[in-house]
Formats: sequence, C-alpha cells, structure tokens
Amino acid sequence: MSTIDYTKNEVNVHGNRSLKEIDDLIVAPLDRIPDKRFFIAIGFTSTLLLIGVIGVALSLYYGTGLWGNNNPVGWALPIVNFVFWVGIGHAGTLISAILFLLRQRWRNGIARFAEAMTIFAVITALIFPIIHTGRPWVAAVYLLPYPNQHDIWVNFNSPLLWDVFAVSTYFTVSLVFWYVGLIPDFAVLRDRATGKIKKVIYSIFSLGWRFSNRHWQHYEMTYLILAGLATPLVLSVHTIVSFDFAVSILPGWHTTIFPPYFVAGAIFSGFAMVQNSLIVIRKVFDMNDLIPLKTLETMNKIILLTGTMVGYAYSMEFFIAWYSGSQPEYFTFVNRAFGPYSWAYWTMFSCNVFIPQLFWFKKIRTSIIPMFIIAIFVNVGMWFERFVIVITSLSRDFLPSSWAYYRPTITDFAILLGSFGLFFTLTLLFTRFLPSIAIAEIKAVSEGAQPSHHGGEDHE
Amino acid sequence: MNNSVDKNKNQIDLPVVKSDSKPSVWRSLDEYDNTNSDNQLKVKANEFADGAENFDISSKSKFSRRKFMALMSASSAMAMAACTDYRDKGEIVPYIDKPEEVIPGIPNFYASTLISDGSGQGVLVKTREGRPILIEGNPQHPISKGKLDSNGIARLLDMYDPNRLQNPRKLQESKLVDTDWGTVDKEIIQSLNSASSSGKEIALFTGKIISPTFAKLIEDFKAKYPTTKVYSHELFNDNNKQEAWNKSTGGTTYPLIHLDKASIILSIDSDFLGTDGNVNENIRQFVVNRDFENPANFSRFYQVEGSYTLTGSNADYRLRLTPENYLDVIASLVNHFAAKQGKQTMSGFKSLEALAKENHWKHEAVSKLINDLESNRGKAIVIGGKQLSVDHHIAINYLNELIGANELYNKSESDYNVISLSNDKEISSLASRMKSGNVGVLINIDKNPTYHLPKLFSKENLSKVKTVVSLNEFENETTNNSNYVLGINHDIESWGDAKIRTGVISTQQPVIAPLYNTRQKEAILLNWINNVENYSEDVYHKYLQSNWETNIYPSLNRSVPFKEFWFATLHDGVTTFNETSIVPTEFDVSTVNSIKPTKKSNYSVILQENYFIRDGRYAGNGFLQESAHPITKVTWDNCAMVSPATSKELGVEIGDMLEVTLNGVAIELPTLIQPGMAEKVIAVDLGYGRTNSSPIGNGVGFDVTPFMSEKGISNWIYTGASVKSTGNKYELVSTQEHHALDDEFLRTQVRKDEKGNVIGGDETFARARGIIQESTVEGYLKNPRILKEHTHKVFSITKDFEYNNMKWAMSIDMNKCIGCNACSIACYVENNIPVVGKEEVGYGREMGWMRIDRYFAGTPDDPIMSNQPMLCQHCDNAPCENVCPVVATTHSQDGLNQMVYNRCVGTRYCANNCPYKVRRFNFYDFRDNLANGYYKTESTKIMMNPEVTIRARGVMEKCTFCVQRISEAKQKAKEEGRALKGSDVTTACQDACPANAIEFGNANDKDSRLAMMRDHNLGYHVLDYLNVKPNVTYLAKLRNSDSLGVKSEHH
Repeated sequence: MSTIDYTKNEVNVHGNRSLKEIDDLIVAPLDRIPDKRFFIAIGFTSTLLLIGVIGVALSLYYGTGLWGNNNPVGWALPIVNFVFWVGIGHAGTLISAILFLLRQRWRNGIARFAEAMTIFAVITALIFPIIHTGRPWVAAVYLLPYPNQHDIWVNFNSPLLWDVFAVSTYFTVSLVFWYVGLIPDFAVLRDRATGKIKKVIYSIFSLGWRFSNRHWQHYEMTYLILAGLATPLVLSVHTIVSFDFAVSILPGWHTTIFPPYFVAGAIFSGFAMVQNSLIVIRKVFDMNDLIPLKTLETMNKIILLTGTMVGYAYSMEFFIAWYSGSQPEYFTFVNRAFGPYSWAYWTMFSCNVFIPQLFWFKKIRTSIIPMFIIAIFVNVGMWFERFVIVITSLSRDFLPSSWAYYRPTITDFAILLGSFGLFFTLTLLFTRFLPSIAIAEIKAVSEGAQPSHHGGEDHE
Repeated sequence: MNNSVDKNKNQIDLPVVKSDSKPSVWRSLDEYDNTNSDNQLKVKANEFADGAENFDISSKSKFSRRKFMALMSASSAMAMAACTDYRDKGEIVPYIDKPEEVIPGIPNFYASTLISDGSGQGVLVKTREGRPILIEGNPQHPISKGKLDSNGIARLLDMYDPNRLQNPRKLQESKLVDTDWGTVDKEIIQSLNSASSSGKEIALFTGKIISPTFAKLIEDFKAKYPTTKVYSHELFNDNNKQEAWNKSTGGTTYPLIHLDKASIILSIDSDFLGTDGNVNENIRQFVVNRDFENPANFSRFYQVEGSYTLTGSNADYRLRLTPENYLDVIASLVNHFAAKQGKQTMSGFKSLEALAKENHWKHEAVSKLINDLESNRGKAIVIGGKQLSVDHHIAINYLNELIGANELYNKSESDYNVISLSNDKEISSLASRMKSGNVGVLINIDKNPTYHLPKLFSKENLSKVKTVVSLNEFENETTNNSNYVLGINHDIESWGDAKIRTGVISTQQPVIAPLYNTRQKEAILLNWINNVENYSEDVYHKYLQSNWETNIYPSLNRSVPFKEFWFATLHDGVTTFNETSIVPTEFDVSTVNSIKPTKKSNYSVILQENYFIRDGRYAGNGFLQESAHPITKVTWDNCAMVSPATSKELGVEIGDMLEVTLNGVAIELPTLIQPGMAEKVIAVDLGYGRTNSSPIGNGVGFDVTPFMSEKGISNWIYTGASVKSTGNKYELVSTQEHHALDDEFLRTQVRKDEKGNVIGGDETFARARGIIQESTVEGYLKNPRILKEHTHKVFSITKDFEYNNMKWAMSIDMNKCIGCNACSIACYVENNIPVVGKEEVGYGREMGWMRIDRYFAGTPDDPIMSNQPMLCQHCDNAPCENVCPVVATTHSQDGLNQMVYNRCVGTRYCANNCPYKVRRFNFYDFRDNLANGYYKTESTKIMMNPEVTIRARGVMEKCTFCVQRISEAKQKAKEEGRALKGSDVTTACQDACPANAIEFGNANDKDSRLAMMRDHNLGYHVLDYLNVKPNVTYLAKLRNSDSLGVKSEHH
C-alpha cells in the first residue's frame, strides 16, 4: 500500500489535455447529431413519460380513486415519490455548494451534472404535491398566500405549507446557482457557435460575458455567496419534508430523529443517483479523464457514510420505540419489521444498510460494475424507505378497527414510471443541449491550471 | 344566545354606544334616554360572537370600494361575455298558489306508518318544500316511541330509487312492455271474471297483512270474485312460536314480555335485539336494566346459540352450542326445576353438565345460570328464537312455566293479527293447485314468491296459471314470470292503516304525490272490485275513511265527531283505545311428552335473517347493502360463517369457497372465519343472490333459499349437511380487517414479575390502548373508581381555549349501545352520504361518518365482543386542524370541528393525522361512480337533504355533529328571544338510537345529563393519553359476569 503525500493536490483531471481540447471534449455532444443509442434511450424515457402523463391525465379526469389510497392510508405512492425525488435532488446542491465551500476540488468535474439533476429531480418532485391532492386545480392556488378580499390566509402551522416554501425556495436558489455557473460556459458556446440561432440564444444566456478579469471576480463572489445561501437549504429542505411526518401525531411518524435521518437519507440517495448517471455519461461521452475513478470512489465513500447513518437511524428508531414504553409506538415498529409490510421493510434495510457496506472493500468501490449495481440498490432501498415510512404507519395506527392493507394500483405504477421518464428525459436532453461538465471549473482543476512549486512536473 | 358572556369583555366601540353622550340619531325616546344603560350595551355586545369584535376595519385594504366595484364590474362584464351557461344553473320559480303549510326552508313533519314491510312502525316523514327527506320514528306512537329500525330509515331511498316500476307493464310476445292502466285493468278484470265464473281459483299472495281496512277490502274482493283465496306468507315468521303457544296454552298469540322487568334473561338462539320480534321495543326494554346509574339492579343475560348474533354479542354469558343440542339445554333445565317441583320431567336428554363439558363452557356460567333462574322466580324469562321448531317452543314454554316467568307476560295488551299468516301446508297446496291448472289468476301483492319459494313458484309452475299479476314497487324474480306487472306506490305515497297490537291503530297518509305512473296496491284491487272506467287518485282514501267511519270509529266510543277524530288521528298518526286481551296461563303439560332429542349428525346449517337486507326485499337499497354486518363487518355479501376450529378442520381460510350440500342441494359459499361460532355449524344469511333486483342488488351474495325444505329442525335450521372446500376463491369485503384473535403478534406482550408470574399484558390492542374500557358490575360496585385508578393526568403546555358559552359534546353509553347500526344509517340519510359499492369498500373507502367498531377479546373459540360507535370526536386540540395547509378545517367557538368544503383541496393530511380515522375522503364523485351513476339520477337528487352540502370529488368530509340542526336551533332560539340550550339540538344518530344511548348537548351546562356523563366515573375518552381532548365521552360497559375476556384480569 502506497503512502499518500498530503502536501500535493490530488489529481482530478487526467489526460493532460490542453484547454481547447477540454472545450472540444465537453462540447462535442452538443455539436454532433446524436447517434442511434441516444434516440433509443430518449425513446425509452419519453415512453415512460407518456405512460406517466396518461396516468396523471386519467387521475385528473376520474379522481384520485384510481390510486390505491384508502381511508387510513391517505398518503401513498405520490407522497413516496415526492419525498424520493426531493431526496434525489439533494446531492446536486450538496456537491456544488457545500463541497465548493469546503474546497473539495474533485467536485468540479461532477458539479454541473449533479446540479442539473437537482433541478430535474425537484421539477419531478414538485409535480406530486399538486397532483396528489383531491382538487389540484384549486390546490395550486389555495396553497399560495395571496392577499384576497375574503381575508383567507394559508395555515402557517401546517408542515405542508412549510413544504411549499421550502421546496420552492430550494428550487429557485438551485436554479439560479446552476444558471450562474453556466454563464461562462454559455460564453464558450457562444464563441464556438456557427449557426445563427444558436449564436443568438447563447448570446442571450451568456449575458455579455467576455472572460474579463472583472467578470471573473464578480462571478467568483456571486458563486461563493450563492453557495453560502444554498448550503443551509440543503439541510433545510429535507428537514422540512421530514416535518410533514414528524409534526403529525402518528406512531412511526412522530419522531425527533426524522430531520437528520431524512437529510442523511437524501444525500445517500442523491449520491447514488448521481453516481449511476455519471457512470453512464463518462462512458458514453468518453469523459473518463474528466471524471476519474477517484471521484467515483469518493462518492462511494459518502454513500457508505450516509448509508451507515441511515442504518443507525433505523436502529435508533426501534430502540426509542421500545424505550418509550408507548404501546402504539412500539407496535408500529415491530409491525414494520414483522407485519404485513415486512417485505418492504427488509428490502429497505438490506438495500440501504447491508449492501452499501460492501464499499468498505476498496476493490468494490473502485470497480465500475459493482458500484453501479450497489447504487441502484441504494435507490431502490431509499424508495422503499419512504414507502415503509408512509404506508406502514398509516395502514396500522391507533385504532385497530381502521387498519387496512394498502395496495398500489396500475395507475400508481404508471405515475411512478412517468416520474422516472420525466427525470431521465430531461437529463438526456440536458446532455445534448448544455455542457454536462462545467468547462470553466474543470479547467481550474486541470493540470497546470494551479500554481505549483515544481512546475507541475511531478504529476503521475 | 350569548347571554352569559362577560359584558366587559364584549364591549365594542360602535357609534351608537357612546358612554358619555346622547346619540345624535335615535328612534325613540327610550333609546335616547337609555343609551348608556347596561341593557343597551348588552344587546349590542351580544350582536356578535366572541372574537368578531377584533375585526378592525382600518387594517383592511385601502383599496376603495368604489374602485374595486368599478374593476369588478368591468371584469364581470368581460367574464360574462365569455360565459354562455353556468353549470349550476337551475330555475327557481316561486309558488303561484302557495300551499298554506309550506314555507320554503322550513321542514314539515307528517305522521304516517310503514305498512308494506309488515312492521307497522309509526313514523314521522320530514319534508322540505314538499319533498320527503327523512323518515324517523313517531314519538307519539306508543310502540315506536320515536324510533325506527334501520330498514325503515333507509326506506326513503326506495321511494326515489330510479329503478322503480314506473308504468304498468304487460307481457307481449314474451316481453314485458309498458302500457296504460286502462288496458291492464280491463284485461285483468276479464281474467278475474272468467276465472271466477269457471270456478278456478283466484289466489291473492300477500305478505303479512296488518291493515284492518285492507283486510276488509279483501273481503269485498272475495265477495266480488267468490273463488278468491288469500295466502299470506313471510320468509321469516314466528308461526312455530305461535303454534307452540297455541298447543301449550290454547292462546292465539304469544304474549308480550316485560323485558324491562326481567332480571335474568336466557335466550335460546333468539336474536331479539336484531331480527326477532319487535326489535326496537325489545331494545328499549332490554336496556332499562342496563343502567349504569343503577348498577345494583343490572340484569344478567345468557345466550345459547350456534351462530353469532347481535343479541349474542350483548350477552353476559354466551354459551356456544350447535342447534342439535338446543333441546338438551332446555330439557335439562326443565328437568332440574321439574324434579324440584315434583312435576313432569323430559327424558332422553343430555344433562347440563355433559353439555358444559362437551362445549367447554365456563363452569361458573352454568352454575350461575341455574342459581339465577332459581333465585329470581318471577323475574326470569327464557326466550326462544322464532326460527326454532314447535317442539323447542313447547319445551321453552314449559320451562317458563316452571321458573314462574308468566309473571313477566304482559297481561293488558298483546300482538294483534289482522289476518294470520298461512302455514307451509296452505302454501304448498296452492302450488299443487297451480300445477294442476286449477288456479286461474295469481295476484302477487308486493311479494316475491319465485325468489322466496323457488320450488313452489318456479317459472314452470307459474306458467300453468293463466294470468299472473304482480303488484310490486320493483322488478323482481317473480315479475319476470308474470303476465302483468303493475307498479305500486311506496309507503309514503299511500293511504292506509295498521293494527299490530291491541288497543292501537296507526294511520298512513301520503306525503308526496306518486312520483311515477303507479297506484297503491289497495286502489288497484279496489278498482277491480268497482270496475270503473275512470280511476280517481283518492279512491282508496275514500274507502279508508268510510271504513273508519262505519266500522272503526263507532267501536271507539269517541265523543268528538268523526271528521275531527279522523283529522286528529291522521295528525297524530295513531289512535289508542281500551281493548282487553286475554293471556291464557294454564299450561298443558301433556304437550311436552312427544318431544324427542334431535339426532346427532354431521354439520348443521343455520339460515339467518340479515339485519339489513331482511328477506331480500331491500337488496336494491344501497344504504342497507353498504351497512356492515354487525358481527362479521362484511358488506355487499353474505357468507358462510364458521368457527376457527371448524375452518381448520375444513382447511379453509377467509374467502375460500365451501361447497355445502344439504338434502341433495349443493351451494358454493365463501368462508368467513367467525370467532365464537359453535363447532360444526355453518350460518348463512338469506335474502342475497338476487337475480332480478336493481343494478344495486343484482348478483350480490349467494342465494341459499334452495336449502329450505321441510326436512330440517325448522325451516331455518338444518342438520346433516356435508361440507367441503372447493379450492375456489372469492373476495369478501368488509369494513374491518379480520385478524386472527390468537395471533400473538396482535396482542401486547406478557409482563411477568420476578418470580415469573404473569402480572399483565397479553391484551388485545383495543384494551391496551384504552380504546375499549370495561368493568364487571361486581368490580364496579366494589370500587366505583375502578376505571380511574390507572389514569394519569395529561396536561397541555400551551394555554387551552376557553369555551365560555356553548360547547357541543356527545356522550355514548356503552351499556345501552347494542351495535344495531341505526345511527349509522340515519347519518347516511341526514347527511347525504354517498353509497360507494363493493369495490370501493374493498379498497377501504366507505364514506360513513359514523361507524360501529367491533373488537374481540378472549379466545377465538369463546370471544367477548365490544362495540364502539365511532364518529368525529370534535377534539379541543384537534390534530387534523393544525396540519391543514389551507385552513379548510377549523374549530368553532362552540367546540365544533368544522369542515370548509369549498376551501378543501384534498391533501388528506387531516385524515392521516386523525387518530380516530373518522375522516372520509371523496376519492371519486361517488354518486357518479357506483353502477353507472345509479344514485345520480333526477329522482335521487331530490332526495338530498337541502341543508347539507353535497360534497364534491376531492374533498374531505366527516361528522359535523349535525351542524345544520344546530344552526336551525340557533335560529329558533333567536326568533323566540331566548338562550340556546343544549337540549334544543338532537343529532340524527341520537334520534335514531333505539336504546337512547347517545346524549348530545352543551358540556358547559352542568345540570345536563350530558355533563353528568362526562364527569362520571365510568366516562372515558378514547386514546385520552394523546391529549387531543375529544368531546365524545364513552360510558364504559359493565358486564354482569366475572370475566372481561382478558387473560390476566387486572381491572
């Protein structure tokens, strides 16, 4: 085992490319006509999207009765999906903002893509709170605190309302942050553009960027401030989403561990989704050098860490349920593990706690195929975590007379598939219309970009 | 209504009320002088409710009203230009000739009687602008006493049912086609004439006839058509009981029993709180000795039964027994008392000890039973189920004789039969005459013989009758085999009278003109007697009136002239008079001699009367189909109830199909494992499996009438069935999950002390969580605070809202609640609750605002059942309110948890956070969703209570404590210038409860019964440790036994 020299910057970009070559490599997917594989992929995802659109349209026409929801189980798959996608949306801002503030240079190669995923995940997530209501056409209006002659106001006591603010703020800040990061890249694209329309569009979005020193100075400061603004949001959004449950009085929901546990879980699933997607991107677009294995390995370490935190939360919930001496509380947890939904519980537990432990082995966390599969398991597990939390608590709460088993319907699954369809369709389009890697940032960590005592000769 | 408000608190700064100056504008000198007086202040102060004075006009928008109006009119004008129609548009036309008694918005009540079902219950029909919207009991009726059974309440829906026969129909080319009354009258009169002239029989097939005037009409019919014979048949009847009584004592009708004076009741398979006898009266009398304020005089009730009935679930000791051994129980008790009294015994029967051993009865139950019967001479009664055989009833009559029960017989009044029911022989002789072609005309009057007696009235047999006429409200199996099908009026569209008891005759009057081209059945027959061309609507009205004038009125010796008497009677709906009835008490012992034990054989089958569908008559009524069976909680189906042990023996689970073969007839039925059934007994409800009902009733459940034959113990109890599992599956839906009672997973853990002795735990969740709290009478007498011993004070960390004026609250006495479901159905009708259908109930989306929860304790073999009516608890700290993001559910100042439907967006968060799970969500437009919008037709629309909003798809709803009634009472109090009292309001469920278990009123009125119950030692709140402060108080049930079914009895 080699010793690590901590006095040196780690290498985040391989290949020893010139700045122009980096430009060419990153922008290449935007310039060429996509090949067959792309059309197959987007054909597949947009089919999924279409299935979801049909599911939603039918639900709007006939009513939420098309889903499996029933009287004890008022919330089901739409809320599970919502929490799942908001969770996915966490990795992006964490990578781009928190890791930026912590000067983690390995983030530069993946920040852009992670942020885009955040935007798309939050867009996907935002669909659910609206469509899951009984009357989406009024929900979209009534949930907003607009002044009116009736003097009717929203209820600031309700965690659902906090949700509205938390998620929309998060979305806005993430979008602005993402766009600000894109400005220099838009300028690169503008300068490279040959077509007239392209030129106009890129010109508009690049806001007159001329790569001047002053521009860079303002840019860096803005980016820093936005990173500072986004950082608390990463923690607050899922905290508030967890309040939807924690503020209620339902056994299994009413727990104080939820905020940190939800945030850890969100980062966990977000990293898994980013890792999955990046593996595909770097392979397809030949960007192995810009997103080195080392980066993926670091991400796997974070997955291992957050997975273990989630595992701790699962165990602690159980302990507290027993320790509380509250019979309904205790039963809810025993019921999760051994009741009618035990299949979901153990799916969740194995995928989230047991399987990521394989990342202790360096061999596994540095091999593409195993890490890809493990991350898929993590996402499955995290979806099931939300399923377990939402469904099991509702289906068997205080009065045994009202207990009922919940089964999702075909429409529920159609909408779930549709959400994946929407997310991946947006992601695929993104890879074709915007640079998947922040050109400016990757240059900053490429070889020779940083001042060095040794003239850069001791690389590799 | 705010008289008790602290006036300082409510001072408001209105221009008129200036403390230091005279008003500049005044209407009278008094006003000018009294401006400063307290009086004036009070009036002004009470003008607004608490909190409304905080309304500060200056904090509102500065946007001027003028400007707003200008903008508003401009935008309205533009909006109008775009709109051509408004979807809620309807025409509101004022009366041109205003009926004297109709004031829009004010309901009218008319007294009437339900006759068609043979119950003769006195009712009040509530109408709004001429539309009946609720049927409830008539408080002045001496038998109904303001109560009505669930069928009666749900009957309203039948009137508006879109599937009613709307025109007379005639068979043409093997199809029934609509025609007019003139044609059918003419043709049928021809048939009647030809039948009577050729000497062929004209058979009138009716149900139980309770109307004296209809009986006279039948006499007139017989006079006109001399070959007429009358057959009156009910699928469920007490013929055996009556025959036995006649044999035992020579009496004609079995006496009424003073249940309210009975200390000990032993019922042999009688469902007297559910389907047997005059149920509402039985319940009312039964609960008299279940008074928590008088625990020393609690009655003790033993039930011996093979199935699990509602009545059995209320027993202090329930002794499971297969029907084969019923006679053994009766005989062994007879022998015990006869031997002591030196009277004749019955030989060849098992002893009580042997039965107790075989059936694992608790030792103390048997010894207590004998002891109780011995020591309560004259205060103990044995009741036999109407479905038992004549032999059973004779033995029971003898036992009653031995224990001195005749002291409990009502000697001043008795049931009255206008025309006795035909016996089985008479009915089968009709069938054989039909077969041989001797019947010329068969007139089916509001019955369904093809369904009830499929062998006798098969299509083939009916085809041998030249003319078959069916007079029915709905199509049924018999109308399919008829030549003429004539639509008849609903009870509340008809005139009539009823006599079911000596000294009481009640009247029936229409409250609405017939909705369709139908006639009342009496008028149809009358027209055939009179043979007039021009039918007039009031033909039977006149007939009825003249019959009263000439036959009934003179015998009553009234001093008022007839007209006055007649209108007064119609107004009251009932008239009472002195009529003596003779109850013979001499018992003929020799009748006991011939009774032999029932032979032991394979499986027994009990065919039961369903609590809601009855004999199948109500199969098309959605309210009744959707009502959960009180024991199994199954809706929209009947099923084979078997005990857990029997199900293991047969190797079946819930929903597995069983093939039951009885006397060569095999029927497949879905299994329902019901704890507490006797072993090797299969109980099935009759009345299901209708094939030609409405879209609601068709194909619901399984028809088991083919099982009925003369080969059983009685028409309803059979032995010698063989049963096997077929391997098929069927989906039974129920409003509660069926858990295995012995599932360790669903019980609390056993707690042990250091020595390993069990000190607690092993409870069902319902008890461990404080949902069901009960005590034994003995325990409560020893320590009245027995239920309060283990309670903890729960406190809030925030300041509670103070309710200074009214605070609406409810209390439910679990000692009285027997779980009949009348409250729930009344709530459906009052609050326009939609019927959702089997599929949606299967999803768990039934909409009832009030439900009866059912919990079992004890062992699967011998469980103890507890009921609990569950409705919105209107919690002070309602957890639903703070989670609603759009403030669609709020709390009123008088303690109501309110739903604002317009504001509700349907997040369902409130329902999730409700620990009582009483909130109901409109997953669909449920009116449009069931059977192609069956309940969204023109006719069912006008059934809706206009005071209650129809909820749209996607909104939440729940019990409102009948807020529309509260508002009405408020208005009334205001009109009359008095303070609102808690007793001014009764909720629909309260009105319907036959046991008067529900109290509703003002919790702040400390003198009220409600407040007493709230503070009572037995009063508890469900899940009170959550500190949500519910406002429905339950009075813990006292069981007059020594066990609550908890393995470690620590209460």
